[in-house]
Amino acid sequence: MSDPKKPLTGIRILELGPYVALPMTGRILASLGAEVIKVETNKVLDEMNFIPAWSRGGGQPEFQRAKKRITIDVRTPDGMEVFKELVKVSDVFMTNFRRNILDRWGIDFPELRRLRPDIILMWQTGLGGIGPYYTYKSYGILVQHMGGVSLMSGDEGEPPATINTSYSDYHTGVFQPVAIMGALLRRSLTGQPATMESSIFKSGAVTAGPSLLDYQSNGRLPRRIGNRDPNAAPHGVYQCLGQDRWCAIAVKTDMQWEAFCNVIGNPEWCRDQEFVSLESRLTNQDRLDQLVSDWASTQEAEDTMIRMQEAGVPASIVSQGKDLYESEHLKARAFYRSTPFYLAERERPAYEWDGKEGIAAANPPKLSESPMDYGDYSNIGEDNDYVFKEILGLSLTEIDRLTESQSLF
Amino acid sequence: MSFKAPAEGVLLPPYRILDLTGPEAVFCGKLLADYGADVVKVEPPGGDPTRNKAPFIGDEVGIDRSSYFLFYNTNKRSVTIDIDTPKGQELFKKLAKTADVLIESFPVGHMESKGLGFDSLNAINPSLVMASVTPFGQTGPWSGYQSSDLISLAASGFMQITGDPDGPPLRQGNEQSHFPGAQYAAAAIMGALFYRDMQGGGGQHIDVSQQEAMIAYYTDAHPALAWMQRGENVTRVGTNSTLVIPLGAYPSSDGWISAGIITPREWENLSQWMYEVTGNEEILNDDYKGGNQDRAPFNDIITALVIDFTTRFTSEELFHQGQERNLVFIPVNTVSDLLVDPQLEASNFWFDIDHAEAGTLRYPLGVFDSEEVSPTTNPAPHLGQDNEAILCGELGLSQSELFSLRSQGVV
Repeated sequence: MSDPKKPLTGIRILELGPYVALPMTGRILASLGAEVIKVETNKVLDEMNFIPAWSRGGGQPEFQRAKKRITIDVRTPDGMEVFKELVKVSDVFMTNFRRNILDRWGIDFPELRRLRPDIILMWQTGLGGIGPYYTYKSYGILVQHMGGVSLMSGDEGEPPATINTSYSDYHTGVFQPVAIMGALLRRSLTGQPATMESSIFKSGAVTAGPSLLDYQSNGRLPRRIGNRDPNAAPHGVYQCLGQDRWCAIAVKTDMQWEAFCNVIGNPEWCRDQEFVSLESRLTNQDRLDQLVSDWASTQEAEDTMIRMQEAGVPASIVSQGKDLYESEHLKARAFYRSTPFYLAERERPAYEWDGKEGIAAANPPKLSESPMDYGDYSNIGEDNDYVFKEILGLSLTEIDRLTESQSLF
Repeated sequence: MSFKAPAEGVLLPPYRILDLTGPEAVFCGKLLADYGADVVKVEPPGGDPTRNKAPFIGDEVGIDRSSYFLFYNTNKRSVTIDIDTPKGQELFKKLAKTADVLIESFPVGHMESKGLGFDSLNAINPSLVMASVTPFGQTGPWSGYQSSDLISLAASGFMQITGDPDGPPLRQGNEQSHFPGAQYAAAAIMGALFYRDMQGGGGQHIDVSQQEAMIAYYTDAHPALAWMQRGENVTRVGTNSTLVIPLGAYPSSDGWISAGIITPREWENLSQWMYEVTGNEEILNDDYKGGNQDRAPFNDIITALVIDFTTRFTSEELFHQGQERNLVFIPVNTVSDLLVDPQLEASNFWFDIDHAEAGTLRYPLGVFDSEEVSPTTNPAPHLGQDNEAILCGELGLSQSELFSLRSQGVV
């Protein structure tokens, strides 16, 4: 066989929905060998095509590579008919639209089950598909606040410490493939399908972690301690020479402390009684941090990292885009790879967008026997002919008619 | 091998998964255990080090009382084996013969040095899936680098975009670096099991780099691409995003509220509402209309107008009234808010688990909800609680052999 089997060879997945989490789920499953058919429409494009980094080629290749991308306007009767034909030949249907929107379009889970009795359904929403907020709209980047994480980061009294990314979407995006593959294995062993409902809120709230138990048993809210750690000192990021250049250093054990002192040239203060043990270093860490900061301000960040690591002290530059792009380490692991992308324009359908070359991250896990596919990158609607003709058996005349009437557009 | 039907109401087949992980990947085994896999935590005879990690239940120190250990080891069983000794390694190999999966997060080369690397284990169990989660992966010039949560957050660039532009890069307070690699490992393990059991494949080794997993967790900022295309270093923007304007956390009359205006329609709705409330016509300025990028030049003035608006409401008012206008205002919660949140309450998120020492506490096991399958609800194990059941009952050791291993400190 010229095309060796992949983990999910033979599994077909129908994906309907924009943003980050759901497309990320589809990408992972597609890279594991599933045929993932992504349904979009030129009439209402995913807004993520237009946020600054993405309009220039960020994100979309990471989340859409390896898929078959088709255009159906499910709001049209003909479009809905075609969509339902696809449901009949799919193992999994996954969507991230809320119930009121699905209702408006006439997508009803029990009916999908009648069309395809063993279909696995993954229904992802922002805040939850059931419960008091089931009609509520949300965005993953904000759920870092709702899930409790931003108020356990940073320092006391400061605004919520915010990361400039769709934090909780990614957690959802990687939980869902685990659940879907589990449901597929279960179906093959028991014959039973499953319907699963997930939310970005729940995925984010899980990452609040052990502090949920600490609060229940001790009534204590997480202390906001910035970059410090209850079990290590010095522990933080220290500003080095250059613009916005920082090196992170984490000294936990006495052996690491000795090595750290050697790297910075054993200044006299290293031998102060105040810093003789981890306990005393923790007690006196304001002064310790000041001394380490003074030293670091005269150093190159990357050089500091290398010298610390060579001496056995955990340390790293705070990586900037340049560091990641030029990283010899990431190059050796073939992490960033070239990819085409399309310059998104609101006023034109996707097939008129200009093609460009950019980079995308490979799937992080490296599987020795069945590697995850980086995959080809299709533009929106590029696989219409393959899916409508080869899979559904529609004639070219029929496809043309439905395209012209904007049902498959 | 355990490719057998899952029990009624359980998602995963009862795959035998040996879990030798530290904090870097402990969440991987938990996720699979919560959904029905038979995850066996293999601890050194003195116990997993995180059993001693504060805070403790009732602030009382004890190896069964660490909130960290209790949280990350639900639904696992525990055996103790000293894999630093030849006898322990022999015993571990016997156990590995019965396993579907092994997850570990030791420094690169550590398992090989114990004679327990992938090649050795593959020779005795060719269908074993082994997943190694390490800070920088098994190969490459940084593979030997030491790490910690802070170091991984720094190396991935996650910190570079967290916090205030005038302040230092910030650590996420929940040991964030321990989630992405562990979750990706769980997905890869499921893929490898699918490959083995549905496609007739064999076992394999999975290499997950925390650094890469974390970079994949913020691709909407994509600093490497920004550098490649424009020589721009993406950096911190404080509580307000630059991806979309306005988007971020804003003060309300009683705390914080987060908001995001992504579509042109949402801007119409918000600006109209702001005008109704503040009477300030500035917000209706035609220059501000359009999609999320169109307001980028006016970020500062728009943020000021938004704050003038949000501080006139409580967070709860903005959350609910915003939805009536198809606008997204989202509360900024603390841990205590989550435990009483009506939405989480209604969607089978919390499960009570009773533990002999910790008592009954609510655990967030319901990552997804389903009528057909539910998470299992066993507490984190006591140290070595399953030694006899697994080593004698399943591996066939006699009581006297177990006694002898115990007296030698192997078990």
